[in-house]
Amino acid sequence: MSSVIETRDVSKHYGEGDTLVKALDRVSLGIAPGEFTAIVGPSGSGKSTLLQLMGGLDNPTHGQVHLANKDITQMSGRELSDFRRDHIGFIFQAYNLIPVLTAAENCEYIMLLQGVPEAERRERVYAMLERVGLAGREGRFPHQLSGGQQQRVAVARAMVSRPNIILADEPTANLDSQTGSDLLDMMHDLNRNEGMTFVFSTHDPMIMERASRLIRLKDGCIDSESEREA
Amino acid sequence: MGLTGRLAIRNLARNRRRTLLTAMIISLSLTALMFTDALIQGMTDTMVRSATRLYSGDAQIHHRDFLARQDESRVIDDPQAVLEQLAREPEVAGFAARTLAFGMVSSAANNRAVQVVGIDPEAEAGVSKIAGAMIAGDYLSEAGPVTQLLIGDRLAELLEADLGDRIVVSVNNQLSEAAEQQLFRVSGIFHLNARAMDENLAFIRLPEAQSMMGLDGAVHEIAFNMTSASLATDTSLGLWQRLSNDRWVAQGWTELMPQLATMLQLTNSSTIIAGIVLFILAGLGVINGLFMSIYERTYEFGVLLAIGTRRRQLFKLIMTEGLILALGAIVIGLILGVLLITWSASVGIDYGSMEVSGVALAEIIRPQHRFMQYSALPFWVLIMTLVACIYPAIHAARIVPAKALHKSL
Ligand SMILES: Nc1ncnc2c1ncn2[C@@H]1O[C@H](COP(=O)(O)OP(=O)(O)O)[C@@H](O)[C@H]1O
Ligand SMILES: [Mg+2]
Repeated sequence: MSSVIETRDVSKHYGEGDTLVKALDRVSLGIAPGEFTAIVGPSGSGKSTLLQLMGGLDNPTHGQVHLANKDITQMSGRELSDFRRDHIGFIFQAYNLIPVLTAAENCEYIMLLQGVPEAERRERVYAMLERVGLAGREGRFPHQLSGGQQQRVAVARAMVSRPNIILADEPTANLDSQTGSDLLDMMHDLNRNEGMTFVFSTHDPMIMERASRLIRLKDGCIDSESEREA
Repeated sequence: MGLTGRLAIRNLARNRRRTLLTAMIISLSLTALMFTDALIQGMTDTMVRSATRLYSGDAQIHHRDFLARQDESRVIDDPQAVLEQLAREPEVAGFAARTLAFGMVSSAANNRAVQVVGIDPEAEAGVSKIAGAMIAGDYLSEAGPVTQLLIGDRLAELLEADLGDRIVVSVNNQLSEAAEQQLFRVSGIFHLNARAMDENLAFIRLPEAQSMMGLDGAVHEIAFNMTSASLATDTSLGLWQRLSNDRWVAQGWTELMPQLATMLQLTNSSTIIAGIVLFILAGLGVINGLFMSIYERTYEFGVLLAIGTRRRQLFKLIMTEGLILALGAIVIGLILGVLLITWSASVGIDYGSMEVSGVALAEIIRPQHRFMQYSALPFWVLIMTLVACIYPAIHAARIVPAKALHKSL
């Protein structure tokens, strides 16, 4: 099956000489549509770097990243901006939301950039916030929401712009285990019912277990890979 | 309002104290610029009026060689024709003919070299302020005795002379080329509040002066005022041509008092320099305020860029924040400026008896409103603020999202 995103021999080096860090070393990886994949590994193993390169947030030192048969490493800054806007959903560990925008406005933001008409924007935002269990809280500002609710808004924001894939970098790391587990259930549900492709990094064993595919990183290389029936 | 505007306003509201401080830098700069301009306007006006309307007049006509050579034989020998022409000029408000003699005044106690001026009392009252500056005795009158003499209070002190005292005046007679002496009595003492005039001028009536000097109806100077003081600096007016010929020349005060004109120009240049310094300081303040707010939001900008905001859009956001800040601050600055100028104009600023290059700031200075304070100044403050925003805005737009986000990833 063709991949949503494919990395070919991707390396990322930071610094040079004595201080050279090979954050990623020749990683080749394909993500198929509908996957619910976890990237795991100890801190500093290159999880964030891999997600950033797959999402076009940074350019690799070597190698290529392909999305829909386009090499995103060849794109201009502006093309890359628009590529991220239209094809990638990002969820970070914390502080995902713009503090001065309400939950609904945070979700609306990307669609505004995309030029989605206002009526459609509102409809999609309200539907998605309801979908993640935040009906009635659309007008709240981030500081008026709990950590778990904020991450749900982040998921809704990533979903609502209809990307090809959502990349989530340790989305549960700042949450207590129950809230983290609930968030992952919700993401898993979106994966199964809406067909959204998810790649998330984590080092929480409980979270890893939900993944349909597990990629272990160690010192910037893929250490092992396993798949299981969801 | 678009999302950018909404975001910008809410971002400004986030750290109200900092926004207010940055806005105050802009507001107070504008207020300071407005007030400085108003003060300079008021001061210039007062100084020019002190210099011209006190005694000299806005403009004067002399024989072409009189001023350069200080030669009392260079006279306007047909003043009547000039006076008639002056009466026809619509921009001329008042005019008076004078004779000027370098002479000596002697009292029982002392001698002083002074300028003895022969004046036509009625016409002179339409040009200078001597009639209104009498502190003892009376102004010259046609009806009174021929021995009437006006001196300044400082000269009276130096001569130890009082009202009614005898004073011998001696001047050069142009016909006999000999000194001519005559006895006068102090009939009035004036105080123009300008040292040079209160110490060095003595006034007698024109016919007496003409006969003492052997001038036969000729005069040295015809002083006149314009309907508005600013007209005197307008060299494009036709009257300068009409009042001049190959023998005499009409000149405005900028030509007659080049040192005053130069000083006013200098004042203007120093105001401009002070204004530029103020601009730079305010600009640095704005840059500082915006940079602080941008450094705080580095992570947030990383998120905005990561989810697809173009760099140009981020640049626009910061510039919009600057624009809204500037507009708000300018409104506050304008209000403060109007209040300050209006208040200080109504109260007036008293420089006491300060003299600037021999000219007394006799009157209370009243700062003046003028259009550019409400148009050009706020415009330039707006431009300054926006220019100051460019650097922080570029900085924000250049943030590398992967680096900005690295903190938490
Ligand atoms: N912007 C950067 N500059 C320098 N070194 C970096 C940068 N980002 C990551 N690294 C280094 O690359 C390695 C991998 O980091 P990262 O991808 O963040 O690992 P993980 O997310 O698995 O903890 C680490 O050694 C880290 O210090
Ligand atoms: Mg990480």
